[in-house]
This record gives sequence, structure tokens and C-alpha cells, in this order.
Amino acid sequence: MSHGVPRVGGEGEGGVASSQDKIKARIKAYKELEKDVTDRIKNEDYSNTTFQLTSTLLSQNPEYYTIWNHRRLLLQHVFAREFSTSSPDNPTAEGTLSTSDDHADTTAAQKAGLSPSQHEISLLISEDLSSLLPLLKQYPKCYWIWNHRSWLLTKATTHLPAASAIKFWQGELALVGKMLALDSRNFHGWGYRRTVVEAIERLGDISMAEKEFEYTTKMIKTNLSNFSAWHYRSQLIPRLLNERNARREARAKFLDGEFELITSALYTDPYDQSLWFYHQFLMATLDTTNPQAGIILSPCTNSDRKMYLEQEVTSVREMLDGAEDCKYIYQALLEYARRWRDLGGEVEKTDMKEWLGELRKLDPLREGRWRDLEKVLGLEVV
Amino acid sequence: MSLVAGPGRGGTGSGQLPDELGLVVQKHVAYIQSLDTRRDELESHLTEHLRISGIYWGLTALHLLGQPAALPPEEVIEFVLSCLHDNGGFGAAPGHDAHMLYTVSAVQILAMVDDFVELEMRVPNGKMKIARYIADLQQPNGTFAGDEWGETDTRFLYGALNALSLLNLLPPQRKDEPPLINVTAATDHVKACQNFDGGFGVAPGAESHAGQIFTCLGALSITGELDSFLGEEGKDRLGAWLSERQLDDSGGFNGRPMKLVDVCYAWWVGSSLAMIGKMDWIDKKKLTEFILRCQDPEEGGIADRPGDMVDVFHTHFAIAGLSLIGYPGVMLVDPA
Repeated sequence: MSHGVPRVGGEGEGGVASSQDKIKARIKAYKELEKDVTDRIKNEDYSNTTFQLTSTLLSQNPEYYTIWNHRRLLLQHVFAREFSTSSPDNPTAEGTLSTSDDHADTTAAQKAGLSPSQHEISLLISEDLSSLLPLLKQYPKCYWIWNHRSWLLTKATTHLPAASAIKFWQGELALVGKMLALDSRNFHGWGYRRTVVEAIERLGDISMAEKEFEYTTKMIKTNLSNFSAWHYRSQLIPRLLNERNARREARAKFLDGEFELITSALYTDPYDQSLWFYHQFLMATLDTTNPQAGIILSPCTNSDRKMYLEQEVTSVREMLDGAEDCKYIYQALLEYARRWRDLGGEVEKTDMKEWLGELRKLDPLREGRWRDLEKVLGLEVV
Repeated sequence: MSLVAGPGRGGTGSGQLPDELGLVVQKHVAYIQSLDTRRDELESHLTEHLRISGIYWGLTALHLLGQPAALPPEEVIEFVLSCLHDNGGFGAAPGHDAHMLYTVSAVQILAMVDDFVELEMRVPNGKMKIARYIADLQQPNGTFAGDEWGETDTRFLYGALNALSLLNLLPPQRKDEPPLINVTAATDHVKACQNFDGGFGVAPGAESHAGQIFTCLGALSITGELDSFLGEEGKDRLGAWLSERQLDDSGGFNGRPMKLVDVCYAWWVGSSLAMIGKMDWIDKKKLTEFILRCQDPEEGGIADRPGDMVDVFHTHFAIAGLSLIGYPGVMLVDPA
């Protein structure tokens, strides 16, 4: 699909006729390549040449999922062959897909506890991962490229000892870090990161919650507006505190730290909704009606809840100074005032009416929502 | 149906929309019809891997525009059946491997064109064969894979439920038979994808995304658990997140906080709002104007944003968005 593509067409040089010929020639070459690959796979020609041809075709069209499937069929075949035939006395036949091995490699493999066939598979996976890097950088939003890497990694996990497999996953963690540095909102990248971290944790029997939490801090400091990083942080915190065996006091201190962080971010840019969603998350951890938020403060009483609501309403009100036209402030005030009231607190109706009035003025697009809110809050003029 | 983009571009986006500019229905119809005649362009060949979905988008747009016969039904059925594999799955085009995404498109087309009559005539027990392909892709945790290679995504889960429901083969639709899939496990998986902001992601733990919200709400709606799971508070929270997708300057929707607008979110966000009864939480007039500005008023077709190349994907989702809003002359659509 042409998402966000202000395309420029035409080859530039030559007349219309010659560029038409060029296009025809390119179509012909593409169709021939496609037919060649397809025929070879049909004939179960799992040779190095076929493998290289899939690379050429995919570099022209990485969205061609059937060709990725062909590539995996081929690799799967080679892996199976390695296990059934490979031994030091039985070298691979000429023309078949294999890596250029030498004695030093083999010795290193033996030290790592890999059999010769595992060693060969490990090299094949490693070569495929690195040869596909340029394509991924060129098409960072192509599902199939990410998907193929995942598949290679699950094969590494199945066929290799944990210590070797984990090295592959660690390599992917470094890669996804680079990809997210290039586009910090790429949801393929964030999804892949979660998969990679889970695999490292499982294979290494370790927790990466602390390290990943630090990573979100780094990402947020680079770009405050990165909601993907804030979201990931919100997912890590409840687990992190459990793993720290944090008592109530430590949890309270942690929550205060997060409020400080988000408040100073909001002072930097109160018009950024990513930040307000994170503020909402922190408040939601104190709200028993939103179980998806997880828990930070525990145990937590209603008087704790009221204390935080009061603190945050005061703090958000102060943000109005110089940002009187910021609709998110009024939204937050009304939402937290409502919760305060639900807990039995008193709120000045005139304040709420004033906030709602400002909100309607500043945000006419969502007038229907404010009308419903007015009803829910009982602020209608009777 | 070729997926080639252009040749037209959406309007320039500068300045106000002339009052008289409405949806250029005939031009969009002609644009969709013209897509099949563009085999002399390289991009047409580079997009074969989406072809059957392209037909679904084109055909649905034509249905919504009240001209379902503008693509000859016999040719459409012929093409769709030529994509069917022995295992009951469909590829995107002849020679392309079977995949959930294209199987769902095929089922949607066959349901729309002749309610599976031709399929059943040519393929013995065809509907059940397709259903079994889909059901076999369900994973132990309830979610669905896209194909035998194992990628999972809430898009596939929704697609599976949607297609099985069109085939009339969901467990509740055939109570006396052994169930083809585990509906409870599928629904539980969807629930596990929900976040504190009320939205849903592509997998448990993933950030909320408007496209994924559509698939998850659609799935819950098909299994009849939308209202009971979300409750009023859940709907308010999700409605708030969704309504914040509308941007002040353009009136269009984005898919996540602080991202660019794109006309296809008129459908993903719009239908999600409709499913939770919050369509009034956005400005429909501004959204309509944005969608109309994405049209190429001369050659037809709709782009993701004003000024970009038009294509059939965005043309379809833009028209479906207008349908949700009740735009005159566009048929009403079921949001799920």
C-alpha cells in the first residue's frame, strides 16, 4: 500500500518510448526470475543457486510472502540434511547450500559444545540473519522480514544448545535497539523486542525487567513524546517491583519518583498527549476499577488514594499557569475530581463547571464526549 | 485487480474544500474498474501478493457505492476459486501460498458475491474444507497463526472468527456438532491484549493500536462478549482514547498517540467507536471533509492523506468510513 508515499514517478532520462521499453524489460526480467524460483522449488531443487535467487527476488519485492516460505522450505531441508548425513567423513555435495568452513571454526564449535551439524546450522542462520539486515533497514515496516528473523531464531532455539541459541537472541536485542533508535515508534520493533526479551529470559533463566526498565528511561530521555516507550515502561513496573520484593515504603517511593518524572515532562510539553496517557496510567494503578493497569502501591487504602488524587490535582492545577489553553489539563482535572468524589471527597461544582466550560471551548471536535461527561458529572443546567 | 497505486493523487489539502465537492462516486467506480487494465506497470506485478485482498477492497467499495455489478461477478468468482489450495486455504493469487489473510478475503468475497453457491457446486463440502483450514491454525493459547510458519497476530484471530461466522460454522451456529475452534480460548486471548488505556495491542503486552482495537472489538462482538467484557467504564476509557485519535488541524484520525493522520483510520477508529456506541464523541463533519480532501476529484481513487498517491486499500477504507458516518449515497455497513 502507498502509506505516506508522495511518490515521484518516471526514470528521468530518455523519451517516453524508451522508458516504456525499460519498464517492459524490467517486468520481463522480474517475471522470469519469479518463474525460475517457483519452478526450482516445485522440483525440490534446494541448491545454493536457488537460495541466492530467492535473495535476489526478495530484495526486489520483500512483501512476496510465498518466496519467504520457499526460502524457509529450503533452509528446513538443509537443516534436516545436516542432521541426517553430516559427519566429518561425509562432506556436503558440491552446489548445495553450505557455509565456507575451516578447521579453526570447527575447533571453536567443538569448544562451544556444538556437533558438526549444529555448527553448520548455526553458521547458516547467522549468515541469513546478517545478509537480511540491509533489507530490514530499507523496509523496517515489512511484516515478512521481521517474521523471517523470528523463524530463524526459533530454529536456532530448537536445534542448538541454549548457550548458543541465547547468543543469537542477544544479537537480535542489539539489532532491535538500533532499529528503534532509527524509528522509535516502529511497533514491529517493539513487538520483536518483547519476543526477544522473553526468549533470553527463558533460555537464560534470568529476568531482564531492570535492564529493560533502564532502556525505557533512556528512550524517554531521548524523546519525551515516545508513547511506545512509556507504554513498555508501564508494562514493566509491576513486575519489576515484585521481583525487587519491594515493601510498601519502597513502592511509595517508586511511585513518587514516577510522578516527579512525568510532572517535569508535562511542564516541558503539556500539549503532548503521550505524557498525559502515562500520567493516567500512574493514576490508574491506584484505581480499583482498572485492573489492566497493574499495581504499584501495595497495600493501598482509600486514604492513600485520596492523598495522591489531592496531590496530583494540585500539581495539575499549577500547570495551568501559562498553559491556560491546554485542554488536557482540564480533562485531567475533571477525571481526577470525579474519582475524588467517588471516594467521598468534596469538589466545588463551580470549579468543575468552569473546567468543563474551558474544555468545550478548546476542544469543540469532541463536543459529544463533553456533553456525555456533563451528564455523568451531574453538571447539567436544569 | 491490480494493487498498483495512482496514477492520481489526493487533493492538495491546502485551503478549504469547495462546498460543492462531494464524493465523486462515478470516478471512484471507474478508478476501481480501471485497476485490472494496468498490467503494463511494474508495480502491478510487485503487488500480486495482495491481489485477492485488492479485489475484496474494490468490490466492497463498489457495494457500498451501490454498484456491486461493476466488477463482473463470474470473473471475480473464477479468480477467487483459482486461488484455492487443496488444504482449504487461499493464496493471494494463483501460485501464491495459502494464508489466513487471503483466506478471509476469499470468504468475504464469496459471501458477498453469491453466498458460496458456486463454491459448493464446484468443491465438494467446500465451506467445511475452508473452515477446517482456518480452525487448524488456532494455537493452544487461543490465538491464530497466519499460516503453517507460525506468525500470530490479533488480525488473524479476528479474521478467523469473521470468516467462520460468514461460513455459518462458528460453534454457536452449529450447536449439535463438535466445535471447530475453542471460542473461549480465543476470547480470553483477546481480553489479555487489553491495556490500561482501554485499547488493545497486537499481542498481550503490546501498545494499543487503532487497527488492533478494531480486530479485538470485532472478535468480541462476534462472540457476543463486547458489552459484558468492557462494561460502561471500559467503553468510556476506550472511547476517550479513540476520540483523541481525531486531530484538530486536519479532522482526520491517526492510529496511535502523536502519529500522522491516515484516511484508513476513518474505518479502524470509526468502526470501533460505532461498536461501543461512541460515534458522537468525534466531529463527523470534520472527518467527512478530511476524507473528501483525500480524493482525487479528477481521476478517482482516495489516498492516505491529501497530496499522496491514491490506491484501492485507502479508497475502500475511506468509503467504508463515510458509510459509518451515514454519508448520503453510501450504503450503511455493519461495523464488526
